Amino acid sequence: MIRLIIDSRLENVSLVGGAVRGIAETLSMDSTTSYQLELCVVEAVTNDIKHAYHLQAGHSVEVDVLLYPDRLTFRICDTGERMNPAKVRPFGFDPSKVETLPERGMGVYIMNSLMDEVHYETLGGQNILTLVKYLNKPEKSA
Amino acid sequence: MQLKHKKTNDVLIVRPLEKRIDASTAAEFKKKMGEWIDAGNRQIVLNLSEVDFIDSSGLGAIISGFKKIGNDGNLVICTVKESVMSLFRLTRMNRVFDIYASETEALDALSVKA
Repeated sequence: MIRLIIDSRLENVSLVGGAVRGIAETLSMDSTTSYQLELCVVEAVTNDIKHAYHLQAGHSVEVDVLLYPDRLTFRICDTGERMNPAKVRPFGFDPSKVETLPERGMGVYIMNSLMDEVHYETLGGQNILTLVKYLNKPEKSA
Repeated sequence: MQLKHKKTNDVLIVRPLEKRIDASTAAEFKKKMGEWIDAGNRQIVLNLSEVDFIDSSGLGAIISGFKKIGNDGNLVICTVKESVMSLFRLTRMNRVFDIYASETEALDALSVKA
């Protein structure tokens, strides 16, 4: 397991993002998949800083990276305000109506779309968002 | 955030020199784009050739500029890296923005629209 810990400031998020992209590239993932993994973790960490810690510095956001034979798992942890799933608006708009285009609220949709599993739980005062990406199994040789 | 910009005829070409448009830079990007639009720029090409990471905050800032121009002009995008393009497709913003392979193609398209 690799554990990344940053202080809750938006300028620190790219440090986690770069580390995630590096891990994905080390696992020989293509550039789009590496970008998408980085994107999901960045969305999760940014949500923690914005919504769990209300943009206040001085708190920790932890990202655990766990590699299993069949999957790559990220656990993003904070001790701030718990996310209220009821407040997460469904993503949708009418492409022909400019006024309906969303400027925010896309992060959860992105994570749910790109990751194979997304779980959220609170244990002992710690909010844990778990993102799981299944790894492609190598094809058997003939 | 470093944003290179130049005016060609009536078209403002904006090229972010940063590799990332994310939550830490989106507000500044949105503010700068808003200022250029308020200054009367109605034909804008956003050249993303240097950008290899955009998150939902960055995308939201681009959308904000698009909405601010509204039906009063055009904001088109060019030279989007394939990985970043996947975000436009995922969010269906590729159906909202006109996206061109090169700056020249974007300028040609705007000259037809104008």
